[in-house]
Amino acid sequence: MADNPYKHYFEMMPAYLTILDRDLRIVEANQRFRQDFGDYEGKCCYQINQHRSERCENCPAERTFRDGQSHGNEEKFTNSLGNEAFSLVYTTPIANDAGQITHVMRMATDITEIKLLQNQIRDSRERYRQLFEEVPCYISIQDPNLRIVEANRRLREDFAGLPGDKCYRAYMHRAEPCVPCVAKQTFGDGQVHQSEEVMTSSRGDQVNVLVYTAPVRDAQGQIKHIIEMGTDITQIRQLQSQLTSLGLIISSISHGIKGLLTSLDGGVYLVNTGLAKNDRARFEQGWKMVERNITRVRRMVLDLLYYAKDRVPELETIPAQAVAEEVCEVMRGKAVEIGIGFRWEIDKNTGNLDADSKAIRSLLVNLVENAIDACRVDKKKAAHLVRIGLKGYPDHIEFEVEDNGIGMDEEIRERAFSLFFSSKRGSGTGLGLFISNKIAQAHGGEIKIESELNKGTRMIVKLPRKPPASVTEAPKV
Amino acid sequence: MPGPKRILIVDDEQDIRTYLSTLFGDEGYETSEARDGGEALQQIQAAPPDLITLDISMPEKSGIRFYREIRIDERWKHIPIVVVTGVSEDMKTFISSRHQVPAPEGFVSKPIDREEIVDVVRSLLK
Repeated sequence: MADNPYKHYFEMMPAYLTILDRDLRIVEANQRFRQDFGDYEGKCCYQINQHRSERCENCPAERTFRDGQSHGNEEKFTNSLGNEAFSLVYTTPIANDAGQITHVMRMATDITEIKLLQNQIRDSRERYRQLFEEVPCYISIQDPNLRIVEANRRLREDFAGLPGDKCYRAYMHRAEPCVPCVAKQTFGDGQVHQSEEVMTSSRGDQVNVLVYTAPVRDAQGQIKHIIEMGTDITQIRQLQSQLTSLGLIISSISHGIKGLLTSLDGGVYLVNTGLAKNDRARFEQGWKMVERNITRVRRMVLDLLYYAKDRVPELETIPAQAVAEEVCEVMRGKAVEIGIGFRWEIDKNTGNLDADSKAIRSLLVNLVENAIDACRVDKKKAAHLVRIGLKGYPDHIEFEVEDNGIGMDEEIRERAFSLFFSSKRGSGTGLGLFISNKIAQAHGGEIKIESELNKGTRMIVKLPRKPPASVTEAPKV
Repeated sequence: MPGPKRILIVDDEQDIRTYLSTLFGDEGYETSEARDGGEALQQIQAAPPDLITLDISMPEKSGIRFYREIRIDERWKHIPIVVVTGVSEDMKTFISSRHQVPAPEGFVSKPIDREEIVDVVRSLLK
């Protein structure tokens, strides 16, 4: 080796180079090796590198002596500072003139830093994977055809067919891409885009989602994919809607109260001036106005309380016939007092139903009051009649309220259950039917309206004997 | 000698019509009543009043539609109108801006102040 023209390169190689004999004894070592491992004279590689007294298993030098081929493997070793380090080892045969392998050159490159970097990359990748999977929002990676190539856990749970399906099919159940499509915009200009979408989950729920799309570039800077992040803002939108409703209801209440106060003030004026003028008719007229408007205030407050509570029905088993008769008894007086006929046909064998008795009573009173009001304001007929019916069926009961009052046209029928909608010539708050319908729905039931303008109205309330668990368990949002 | 001035009270609420009718009657005016804009128009055609008090929120024909029809009709545009409503006072601006018609001569908010409405009516019927 002393005369070898490559000796210089052997010495200067930035790796640990050693020449081993058949006993794996180090017969020569380069500068780097000598610097880091010191005296090697008479020692075997495994004694110096591994601090072992026995040969290593699967020793590449031994294999090279055996088969004359180069071999390599990764080894742990203890460096000059006494720290555990990693090296990549290659062994190459050295033959004499007769072709016999007398020595092996062992080259070991310290890959400790590469190893550390690899571990860091693996850890980071794992953390990002965990973040991608577990973050409480929807994340997907999409290709230029808008096919979802990766989807996180939340997205896979809420939308079927992912990954694999196209985003507009999976989210919107559409056959064509959305217009505009933020993913396409990002593919086009490489910018972040944002939109709000209403998606339909595989359970059929409508989900309001705030969507951001950002480009994912490859090493050449080309956009091969985009990442789409969606935040479920359904609850925020529901809250907004409730706040809007609250604003509207306050405005409606305010308007209603102003009207009520004016009417009450009118009643007081007629009472006072009737007394002053000794005009009994005026006094009585004023007193009725006061009474009527106090009743309206009470109704309005009760309706508001029901609306404000937004409660789950407190179910108990109640006899439908008794509840209906009780309401009829109370309301009959009110109808008869203003000259409206009142009749009820109640099936004695209607049986029981599981319901919130207060809510059902409130529902029936609202409907009957509406019927009486519809007759009271109708000046086109000589006689008016409100008819109440109750029938029992195996799985539900039907309560009917019929009148021959002013009736409703198509527009009024369609808007009858809307909050704040009232056709009652100023005396309505727009809460009664809205709340009645809410009560029916909270019991898993429904209200049907059959009505014709100037002829009359029939309201049919269908209530199941036992409300389904789906409507009574979860608190209403 | 001319007879008492006549006021047409347009409001969908019976109690408010009765109130205003009695109040104006006590002030020496004649009154007539209409439940909505449609009825009011019929009455004006039959016998035009000297002043109209008008509610805004009414079914069938609203106060705003009625107001516009009166204001663009040469025969009735001179009749002073006092809007009596629980809707915000912004309505005053809204009524005139939306239809490019003059603002109402009077505006009284519900709940009404008796003296205020009598003063407004009296000054318009001088």
